Amino acid sequence: MTDGPLMNRDAQERDGDNRNGAATGAAPILALKGLDKRFGPTHALKSVDLLFEAGEIHAIVGENGAGKSTLIKLLTGVYPRSGGEVYWEGRPVGLATPHEAIGLGINAVHQEVVLCPHLTVAANLFLGEEKQRFGLLQHGAMVREAQKMLNDLGFRLPAGALLSTLTIGQQQLVAAARATMRGTRFLIFDEPTAYLTRREVAQLFALIRRLKQNGVTIIYISHRLEEVFQLADRVSILRDGQLVSTRRVADTDEQSLITGMINRAIDQVHYKETISFGPEILRTEKLTGRGFQDVSIRVRVGEVIGLYGLIGAGRSEFVQSLFGRFPRTGGQIFWNGKPADIRKEKDAIALGIALVPESRRDQGLCLNLPVALNLNLPIYKRLTKVVVISPFAESAAADRQIRDVQIKTASRSALASSLSGGNQQKIVVGKWLNHGAKLFIFDEPTTGVDVGTKAEIYKLFARLLKAGAGIILISSYLPEVYDLSDTLHVFRRGRLVASHDSGHVSEKTLHETILTEAIGV
Amino acid sequence: MSVEASEALELAATKRRARLTALFNLTLLILLALLWVVLAFSTKTFFTWTNIANLLRQGSMIAILAIGETFVIITAGIDLSVGAIVGFTSVIVAWLLTHGFPIFPAVLITLVVGFGIGIFHAFGITSLGLPPFIMTLATMTALRGIGLLITNGATISVTNAAFTDFSIGYFLYPILPNLFLMVLLVGIPSYVFLHHTRFGRYLFAVGSNMEAARLSGVNTRGMIYIAYTLSAVTAAFVGVLLASRIGIGIATQADGWELQAIASSVIGGTSLFGAIGSAYGPVLGSFILTTINNGANLLNVNSFWQRVITGFLIIVIVYFDGLRRKRI
Repeated sequence: MTDGPLMNRDAQERDGDNRNGAATGAAPILALKGLDKRFGPTHALKSVDLLFEAGEIHAIVGENGAGKSTLIKLLTGVYPRSGGEVYWEGRPVGLATPHEAIGLGINAVHQEVVLCPHLTVAANLFLGEEKQRFGLLQHGAMVREAQKMLNDLGFRLPAGALLSTLTIGQQQLVAAARATMRGTRFLIFDEPTAYLTRREVAQLFALIRRLKQNGVTIIYISHRLEEVFQLADRVSILRDGQLVSTRRVADTDEQSLITGMINRAIDQVHYKETISFGPEILRTEKLTGRGFQDVSIRVRVGEVIGLYGLIGAGRSEFVQSLFGRFPRTGGQIFWNGKPADIRKEKDAIALGIALVPESRRDQGLCLNLPVALNLNLPIYKRLTKVVVISPFAESAAADRQIRDVQIKTASRSALASSLSGGNQQKIVVGKWLNHGAKLFIFDEPTTGVDVGTKAEIYKLFARLLKAGAGIILISSYLPEVYDLSDTLHVFRRGRLVASHDSGHVSEKTLHETILTEAIGV
Repeated sequence: MSVEASEALELAATKRRARLTALFNLTLLILLALLWVVLAFSTKTFFTWTNIANLLRQGSMIAILAIGETFVIITAGIDLSVGAIVGFTSVIVAWLLTHGFPIFPAVLITLVVGFGIGIFHAFGITSLGLPPFIMTLATMTALRGIGLLITNGATISVTNAAFTDFSIGYFLYPILPNLFLMVLLVGIPSYVFLHHTRFGRYLFAVGSNMEAARLSGVNTRGMIYIAYTLSAVTAAFVGVLLASRIGIGIATQADGWELQAIASSVIGGTSLFGAIGSAYGPVLGSFILTTINNGANLLNVNSFWQRVITGFLIIVIVYFDGLRRKRI
């Protein structure tokens, strides 16, 4: 431990946390000093100092958007860093390309499987390093060798089978096996257990422990805190792009990790106006469908209902069902007090439910078409006079929404792709206002938008509420969903586990409670 | 830079782009005019009534085919069968006429056959989940086979003089041949449909983002049906015109016309990725191609070389078209 300045002294002093466990005396294999990453105006990673000891299992925890994925992508050379230095065994390294990272022995197993589904397990394992003789592939030899390797790893997987015939969990194990093959000395697991069964998790953990015995350094990223305690030697907490602290797992507990993950500055009060509630718009009673059970909520005019939960908790599945994508299998939906049967999206649209999807580009907008066409898409029937669309009615309808929702665009005939993310979001909202929607479902409205645009979106909420609409807000970002919602429902494993009436000022203790409910400690 | 300043710059840039787009929409027309002027000066025979009328006749059938094809391409699909439909329906209409059907019912039945083919395409694409390329490739092969089976490989000669006279006749002598009138007959309603009705808007929306269109309440399956039936019906109509022009029906006719139609559409500014295109672009595109061939004939260019030149020009025109799209 000769590189004194590399110690995370600032972080220690800031948090009064002296348990970052550098006492083992093991040499750092990888040292980060002031690692920094900006994406335009977004500061994703703020001067992170971190040491990884050779042969340790180092867990990294943090909320969505805390900077975990950015950190991984910097370490694996997917993105170049904006600032700071990285030392590999004491030598400065660039890590500018994935090739360089792999050359050093840094590998990652991603949450999404990045393998070729149409090739066999063996072909995937040997991809890029095929066994050949006289320029011909040695299929048999590769399958035999792959099978032996899988058996040695303790994975019961058929090496000759097509990857696509395996479950997602089994494919994840193949990805892990592949990552261990190529002289890996530093292996990053990003949420590897999200799709695994209990038995597969056990197999994976056995592999990780064996890798550790062989001297491989592991970074383990997971939302499941219990896994951190089962597996890791040390744990680092990231929050808003900053390193909060690094601790020995033996010296900490789940509750203090959660406190570290959410303890944030108070300057992030979100925009919210007090609006008096009107009559009920929508009510569900014990609604059950694919991925969720017995969910009962109510939305009134002027009200924001927040839905919070980890990915896979069932909140997205719930709203998809409200919007008719996956019909319900049980329970009831009431619209304006009357039972409603929503079987298809068009039923939901006809009632006046609008979905503002998470992915504007994939689901919300026709990007290479004009703003006016996007705004008027649901109402062209109304704009048609006899056979032909009235150009005056079309322009007037578009201009009204551009004015009302304050879309910043050169003209109504500009292409939607020429607008900024926030203004694209407004087109989707304007489209549904045009149609006369009463209930707006916002699915992660602020992902990938900067702070200024966020404020705009929050103002838009207020305008919608005043105009007599209700809002269902889904967000993985707790402070946002908490501050904007009048009532916040917490989902865990397909069920609504808690509900809170929110105030307008962040209360740290309540954040802790909600996060604890969502994680299910 | 402050947010306001950068937004102001962005707005100015968008306005500039809008003006440029309006200007560039004229480039095809200018290109066509330029070709005509050059040919008028370099050959004695180009700018004669006979040749102009001939050129308008030559380009008409591909122009109509290209308009129909464009509906499909705007939805980000492709219809490879239109050439085969032309050959097949020329057999149908010739068979009907030689079996004593009067002209009007014979034409109507032929168009209904085209409609049925379009419905079959859309069914295969929406219900069986086949890619448009495969679905229409399959009918392209099969229709020629069925057409040959009907006649047992022989040609059917049309003896109805009124039918065959139509295609050599003029609506307005000597400048407006009947065949070119048919381009207007198909083109003008197509223009209104594509650019001024809600279904036209929906075709663009489906081609741009099927999911967004569906979530906006557009019946996307219905729009696929509309696009492929329009394409097939216009192809059947061209089949009737071809039978009239050559006086026979045989399924091997119109070989490769689907590619000429696609090329015309693309030269006319249609994007094969969907959502970009117009009803007038394909007409201009087909007459640019026809003019090039016509001019090459008059200049005594070897017909083998003509094919090479046409292929090369398609690359050049579409490359520059893509370039201007990127730039603006």
